[in-house]
Amino acid sequence: METATAHATHHEHVHGHEEHHHEETFLTKYIFSQDHKMISKQFLITGIFWGIVGGLLSVLFRLQLGWPNETFPFLESFLGKWAEGGKISQEFYYAMVTMHGTILVFFVLTGGLSGTFANLLIPYQVGARDMASPFINMLSYWFFLAAGVVMFFSFFIQTGPASGGWTAYPPLNGLRDTAVNLGSGLGFDLWILGMSLFIVSALLGGLNYIATVLNMRTKGMNMFRLPLTIWALLFTAVIGVLSFPALLAGCVLLEFDRLLDTSFYLNNIIINGNLLGYKGGSPILFQHLFWFLGHPEVYIIILPAMGLVSEVLSTQSRKPIFGYKAMVFSILAILVLSFIVWAHHMFVTGLNPNLGAVFTLFTLLIAIPSAIKVFNWIGTIWKGKVRLSSPALFAIGFVSMFITGGLTGIILGNSAIDIQLHDTMFVVAHFHIVMGVSAFFGMFAGVYHWFPRLYGKYMNETLGQIHFYITLIGAYAIFFPMHFMTGLPRRYYTYANFETFNNFNFLAEFISIAAIIVFIGQLVFVVNFFYSIFKGRKVVAEKTVDGYDYANPWGTTTMEWSAPIERLHGNWPGDIPAVHRWPYDYSVNGREYIPQTEALKPGEVPHE
Amino acid sequence: MIAFLTFATIVLLFVVLVLISRASELTADLKNGKVDYTNQSKWNGYFLLASLVLMFVGSAVCFKVLMPVMIPKAVSVHGVKTDFLFNVTMIILLVAFVLTQVALFYFAYRYNESHGHEAYFYPHNNTLEVIWTVIPAIVLTGLIAMGMYEWMHIFNPDARDKNMMVIEATGKQFNWMLRYSGKDGKFGERIIDQAHISPTNELGINWEDPKSHDDFMSDKLYLVKNKPVLMKLGAQDVLHSFFLPHFRVKMDCVPGIPTEFYFVPTMTTVEMQQYLSTQPWWQTINPETNQPRWQTFKYELACAELCGKSHFGMEREVIVVDQSEYDAWMAKQTPMYQPPVAAVPATDSVTTKEEAKKPTAMLVTK
Repeated sequence: METATAHATHHEHVHGHEEHHHEETFLTKYIFSQDHKMISKQFLITGIFWGIVGGLLSVLFRLQLGWPNETFPFLESFLGKWAEGGKISQEFYYAMVTMHGTILVFFVLTGGLSGTFANLLIPYQVGARDMASPFINMLSYWFFLAAGVVMFFSFFIQTGPASGGWTAYPPLNGLRDTAVNLGSGLGFDLWILGMSLFIVSALLGGLNYIATVLNMRTKGMNMFRLPLTIWALLFTAVIGVLSFPALLAGCVLLEFDRLLDTSFYLNNIIINGNLLGYKGGSPILFQHLFWFLGHPEVYIIILPAMGLVSEVLSTQSRKPIFGYKAMVFSILAILVLSFIVWAHHMFVTGLNPNLGAVFTLFTLLIAIPSAIKVFNWIGTIWKGKVRLSSPALFAIGFVSMFITGGLTGIILGNSAIDIQLHDTMFVVAHFHIVMGVSAFFGMFAGVYHWFPRLYGKYMNETLGQIHFYITLIGAYAIFFPMHFMTGLPRRYYTYANFETFNNFNFLAEFISIAAIIVFIGQLVFVVNFFYSIFKGRKVVAEKTVDGYDYANPWGTTTMEWSAPIERLHGNWPGDIPAVHRWPYDYSVNGREYIPQTEALKPGEVPHE
Repeated sequence: MIAFLTFATIVLLFVVLVLISRASELTADLKNGKVDYTNQSKWNGYFLLASLVLMFVGSAVCFKVLMPVMIPKAVSVHGVKTDFLFNVTMIILLVAFVLTQVALFYFAYRYNESHGHEAYFYPHNNTLEVIWTVIPAIVLTGLIAMGMYEWMHIFNPDARDKNMMVIEATGKQFNWMLRYSGKDGKFGERIIDQAHISPTNELGINWEDPKSHDDFMSDKLYLVKNKPVLMKLGAQDVLHSFFLPHFRVKMDCVPGIPTEFYFVPTMTTVEMQQYLSTQPWWQTINPETNQPRWQTFKYELACAELCGKSHFGMEREVIVVDQSEYDAWMAKQTPMYQPPVAAVPATDSVTTKEEAKKPTAMLVTK
């Protein structure tokens, strides 16, 4: 990973030395960087690495699901004992499913998404020279990387990585005993270590984001002049800071159960007729702790994507975001509600039915702010002048996916219906569309849109559009039909043991083929990304002031392009510009756009 | 070799793709150093419309092809109601799905920059915001009310029939232990301690309790049509989840915490087969068995909570019969209790016996 990071940034000639007060070495500029833009790149490239790993895992277990009776001899050559005779073993299947979830939820869509865009956009868009604490910001990345190294390492130990599901439920994951048929051995201890490091990273990052947004806004940048990206990233950080500690506590107690034989989550465990000594714990307690983070976690994933999409849609439609304040308050509503819906993951755990009813109420309520956001995005495109470039396409794809996946949430959130659907493929289809695919669409929209800001170059438009259509159509081909596998339990290695579930093999095969195509389609993005870093079309200066080149590739109002094309440490060469207006003055007063930094004309009333 | 060639082909395709894309970049219309997207917007507008059409056609095909294959209609009293709720919700969602997707893709097509118009500065409209807050709120209130009513009814202990039968299901890696209370209708006491739990008495049944003497184990779950049943659920080792897909029954089995689920089966296995024999898809021949699909239909019990590497194998057949057939079946069952010698549970599967042979001393240390 380090090499990948270093490689990716090699191209950046160390120009602009004379402006810096101190000489930067390779090590301080690229590796132990405290510059928010470099840390953003580090998060992004590490995220891309994890995205490839996580995606590859899904392709491998889709081979098993799509063709349960076939063998794939080539698998044995690089998986060894995990795929003897070309047949993926049960242990490794569950390990891949577990790690696929962990990697994509935490390492790609939390670390990769929030880490990249909070770091890039918060200082640029609030008008700050860097994060409140650049050093803590650097630590945040290094804890993230260390977490990743631990997780990656767990693939290479003899008993394999964690395989008890990304939700890590005890007792399966609470017993360190090899007598339990599924080896939740060393791999799971590493999982807990990796997750703990990850949580430290998320907390360090989150506190920094909050401090920066609240304290380091430039002159004139009051809260209601913040672009929606910043609102979304701020609220995301708040959710993370309030909920990640619960998971850390939960994980530490789980490790106590495993290593010190405590009984926080274990009670009356009987294995082969032998009563183990655990007494008085509750496996359900862990689920409460897990989902107290786990549910807000999906908003940690989706809110930044929503923020990016709001900004991209508005910019690319040359039209203000529709209902700016409604958007802000709906994110706030989602933030508040996200903390009181967690038990909808536990409707059939034997929870008190009254609690189930309350959680149904709050869960379905969350559909209202989500609906408001969807209508506002559609309202933004309406009568706009939409430039259908890659970022806009991905933003539209995000809204489409968010609608489709969000709607089925209304079914799952209703406890009475959830009895049948809980832990079935319907759930898999739902959450992959609503938080997996759509968050990826948001992330891609962001990467295509802000790539010029990161690297001073554009990503290739043709490849971007090819990538878009493969992903849009492919993702629907994978997950839309999956809804019809209602009642087929998830996390099944094969359905062959059941008469009831064995009818959908043709569909499983179709889904697997689509998944492989979509995975290859994502490689188009990876190729485009690294190719464009080196050979991409350069951002051309539109004006030059005091020897600094300025441009505004998409014609945005927000502050990131009031800084020079060159990525200076400190962002602006002179004073930080002051802000005079809200961030969405598009197509107003006969102008295509008016930057936030432009002073009001005499007599002009700012939009508030 | 084939793998290598495939790999080489994919790499080559990528190289070609990049070269073509590079060329398109070099020939792009530039205005002040920026690409003019007008032409691309025009084409992408059409492509988006095409994607929308493809999406709807694909959805329609899914409904046509996949609906008949789905797990058939609910065969429990509450399942019929939750299925109805599912269908009502689904219809509302489909309407919302079509309206919003059409608006999204059509606006993207209609208002893309190739039409040569200017964007309309229209930052907000509070009336609209109120409308699209209130309408979903009203619809959701209805759905919440219906869902809550049904939910509270399913789990209301006062609504249970006093004459219900009680069956105990205990999950373990990787099968189900199903215990019936026998002729007296009462289960023998279970005591979870070192004195009672043993490889030959995994459930910890207290044999000194006379109520245990007619308890029997079954490897199939027998239920009676229209006879309410309360499943008493538990787990030995890790979480399991008691899932009867046809009956819309699911409840986790938690070590140390008893759970339960009350329901009423409404169709016997034979009646269900007869019903399915009228359904076109179920009349087709299953190539694996060479029989019409409805003939091999059976109700099944599955595990729905990841419980280890053989989670997918916890299958038990569920058979719903009339009371008279049930009585006849029950008369044939042998109780677990064997007076003089230590009792052996009747249902232990092959796996369990193998596991029981393993040295177990190291397990007891905890």
